[in-house]
Amino acid sequence: MNRRWLRQPALWAWLALMLLALGLAWRASYVADLSAFLPRAPSGEQRVLLEQLKRGGTARVMLIGLRGADATTRAEASRTLAAGLRASGHFDAVHNGDHTAWQQAGRFLLDHRYLLSPAVDAERFTVNGLRDGLADTASLLGTPAGSMIKPLLWRDPTGETVRMAEAMMPASAPRIEAGVWMSRQQPRALLVATTRAEGADLDAQAAAVAEVRRAFVPLAGRGLQLELSGPGVMSVEARGQIQAEVERLATIDTVAMVALLLLAFGSLAAVGIALLPVASGVLAGIAAVSLGFGEVHGITLGFGTTLIGEAVDYAIYYLIQARPADPAAAPAGQGHLHWRHHSWPTVRLGLWTSMAGFAALAFSGFAGLAQLGVFSLAGLAAAALTTRHLLPCLAPDGAAGLGLRRPLGRAVARAAAALPRWRWPLAALTVAALAWLALQPSAWRGTLASLSPVAPAALQLDASLRADLGASEAGTLIAIEAPDEATALERAEQAGRRLDALVADGRLLGYESPAKLLPSPATQRARQRALPNADTLRARLAEAAEGGPLPAARMQPFIDDVQAQRRLPPLTRASLAGTPLDSALQAQLLPGHAGGPWTVLLHLQLPPQPTLDGTSLRAALAGLPDTRVVQIQAELDGLYRHYLREAQWQAGLGALAVLLLLGAHLRSLRRLLAVTLPLAASVALLLAGLTAAGVPLGVLHLVGLLLVVAVGSNYALFFDHLRHTGEADAETLASLMMANLTTVVSFGVLATAGVPALAGIGLVVAPGALLALVLAAAFIAPSREVPAAARVGQSAR
Amino acid sequence: MTDPLPRILPSRPEPAAPACWRRRLLAAVGLAAGLALCAPALAAGELSLAQLMQALAQVKSGEARFVEKRRVGELQTTLESSGRLSFQAPDVFVRETLKPRQERLAVTGNHVTMSQGSRSRTLALDSAPEAEAIVEAVRGTLTGNAAALQRHFIPGLSGTLERWTLELEPREPRLRGQVARVTVLGQQAQLREVRILLADGDSSVMQIETLAPGTGR
Repeated sequence: MNRRWLRQPALWAWLALMLLALGLAWRASYVADLSAFLPRAPSGEQRVLLEQLKRGGTARVMLIGLRGADATTRAEASRTLAAGLRASGHFDAVHNGDHTAWQQAGRFLLDHRYLLSPAVDAERFTVNGLRDGLADTASLLGTPAGSMIKPLLWRDPTGETVRMAEAMMPASAPRIEAGVWMSRQQPRALLVATTRAEGADLDAQAAAVAEVRRAFVPLAGRGLQLELSGPGVMSVEARGQIQAEVERLATIDTVAMVALLLLAFGSLAAVGIALLPVASGVLAGIAAVSLGFGEVHGITLGFGTTLIGEAVDYAIYYLIQARPADPAAAPAGQGHLHWRHHSWPTVRLGLWTSMAGFAALAFSGFAGLAQLGVFSLAGLAAAALTTRHLLPCLAPDGAAGLGLRRPLGRAVARAAAALPRWRWPLAALTVAALAWLALQPSAWRGTLASLSPVAPAALQLDASLRADLGASEAGTLIAIEAPDEATALERAEQAGRRLDALVADGRLLGYESPAKLLPSPATQRARQRALPNADTLRARLAEAAEGGPLPAARMQPFIDDVQAQRRLPPLTRASLAGTPLDSALQAQLLPGHAGGPWTVLLHLQLPPQPTLDGTSLRAALAGLPDTRVVQIQAELDGLYRHYLREAQWQAGLGALAVLLLLGAHLRSLRRLLAVTLPLAASVALLLAGLTAAGVPLGVLHLVGLLLVVAVGSNYALFFDHLRHTGEADAETLASLMMANLTTVVSFGVLATAGVPALAGIGLVVAPGALLALVLAAAFIAPSREVPAAARVGQSAR
Repeated sequence: MTDPLPRILPSRPEPAAPACWRRRLLAAVGLAAGLALCAPALAAGELSLAQLMQALAQVKSGEARFVEKRRVGELQTTLESSGRLSFQAPDVFVRETLKPRQERLAVTGNHVTMSQGSRSRTLALDSAPEAEAIVEAVRGTLTGNAAALQRHFIPGLSGTLERWTLELEPREPRLRGQVARVTVLGQQAQLREVRILLADGDSSVMQIETLAPGTGR
């Protein structure tokens, strides 16, 4: 064997670069959450939303259902599981409706009740105020509620404990049976756990999920089933699904490519060489994304598998076309020179057009799309450079084997000769499709949900657990921003006063506010100022209790407690740490992140038939600083529309860049038009087909269309070249068909992905690439020169 | 909503407040036991729960006055209050206290609304099992809903239709720790008296006097 290739600098350069890329890919961190598909937030409302998704307390919530058996068994299991999870260290809080966890907090709250009770104001400690408080308490005595407050009667005769509890208790609490939360509709006990780890820390979330499953194992024997949901659980499942999907796609793609290449070359060595540009491209793509973004998204990798289909084309073109023009005249080993002269310019132009398309994506505000763009840019460039510089060292005369290329080439030649006869019917069909499309409502109605890999069944389970728990639907919430904790709580109180008016009108059932759990320091101090000194209080109490059932003489503990609490430092978020209040507070009061503002979230409980819309809610809150009404679905829709508009612009620019490149290469408006026509027709027919199939189109379909244009432009150029030079042997036509097949197969495989983001692209590109080839042949291939097939036969001989 | 992203956002459910705080609700409801209602007289004789329930179920609505006396271990005096009760099949029940001061408690289905002066709040009844049980003791008796009664209590019936006594012992051990027994006394399809004995020895007796005749049948 000739060892000259060992002295090739290209080989060593390639090896060094690949080792570097391998190192980068090895060290890259791979993620698979949805965050990559979230934009840099364009509006205040959306910023709040995304903060919540990434760091919010709600992202750490895990919903747990124990289904089956009887209520007593479920309740026991609920207590056992809750105790196990609390002890595991994975969770900040585990709630199951059992109030024993509150006993500690109850004491803490009792010791601060005159700072926390909403009833405490200047009026509360006047004679009249005290009389009202005593009457409230008296009305409870002799009832079950009374027997619960009796132990505190002389310490808390005005019932601040009760008022505090009322403020903290949500209007839509879960049903309690056998002492724990149970579903209203189903045989199911309910628990809510808050993970210690951030919602975005998927490894820790996965560990927490595993902990729940482990703790449940001993309970499974009692006829119970575990149901798990929540953002973390879904993200962990999605990650697993994306990983499995990417592995599956890569395997199928590789097998399919090897099979196709074997058919084409009938030689394992040729197959090995053909796969080199692919492998280089994938490695380079991963390395570039890892360098540019600090992490590689699973979706990017899944998409990257289709790059196999693109990059292998370069190798196919090379291996088939790198032959001396006249084998008799040229010495062996010169085939690559012929290829470089005759074919490389076209391949290079195809590379440029593809890169122009992907470059548009690289500037996307959405990390996910930008990753796809960068991955493809780097991957295609690496694959093309490998083909251009490495393959000539390894296989200077292309691939020796013939495989089934000859018959394939002849079939393609016949088809190419026949297709031009269909030019006018196809043009008519395209015009009809365009006309029909113009009459249809826009199919661009994809949603952000279409990017999510979460299965409908998982969403249903989540919804039913949430309904059982009475968690307020996330339809509308109020977000308030403030520079610090104290201001945040003050602003929450201001908004609360406006909302109280709506509650009083019955337009709002209730709302959750962190200020109900933790009043602002200013409010706490104001309450302390309302507390009278011991002598004053004793005198007023004597007057207020006169003639009532509760004798003032026994209320010395009350006077002592009030005095003790007059001097307490106000409570802050930090002082509630470790109490059950803390986890509730975390969901509603988010500290400023890296110098950013603090955020307060007020969740609203709307009546069954809401009479309050966003507009009137905004009006009710008008004038409050940094206070926004966030209608989540509307914001998400807006986010996605923005996303789509941006992508449409980018795709448009990408398409324009493709056109400019083609124009610069062809230097003829007529030829440019001829090349563009089949591309435009492909897009039109594809759009019509997708619309007719009722597919809601979104960003990923747009990316797919861009790819069809980029890939299709290669086919169009090929036929344009054929038309003007008249040279096409069976081998060349076979290489075109092979390239098309690999693209169709790899995107067809992608279309079967369970991850909608990937399937969407595959669904567009697989038929689109085939369509582009057929239309390019029909519209551009030389129709008058019918003997093309005959000539093909001759030159192939 | 089918979107998964919003799933990440909804508020987490508030941790349950201590059950003791819920019992304020129970209190109000517990005090509210009873409605006196007219119904067609049935033949005297040995009375079964089914017969009583059937007789009670025929009364669709009614109004009554009540006087309630509560004895509390901590206090020397007896607490007295009075007001109005009203009821409408199948699940509306209102107790309005007029003395010593105005208070209102209204139950509709699973929703309880409590008002005191300008303060008003609404809760899910079944999130406070004690309150739910006591509401069902009265509402279940009024509507002749044997299933609701038996879900929460072990019922014991004695007497005749002319003068019957329905003893209700809470089924749930947790509830028995607070409410020892509810006793409903009645005559024909009218409630005359509701007695609640608490586990700590406190008790209340509510006497009921029919105001308006029910629109029976």
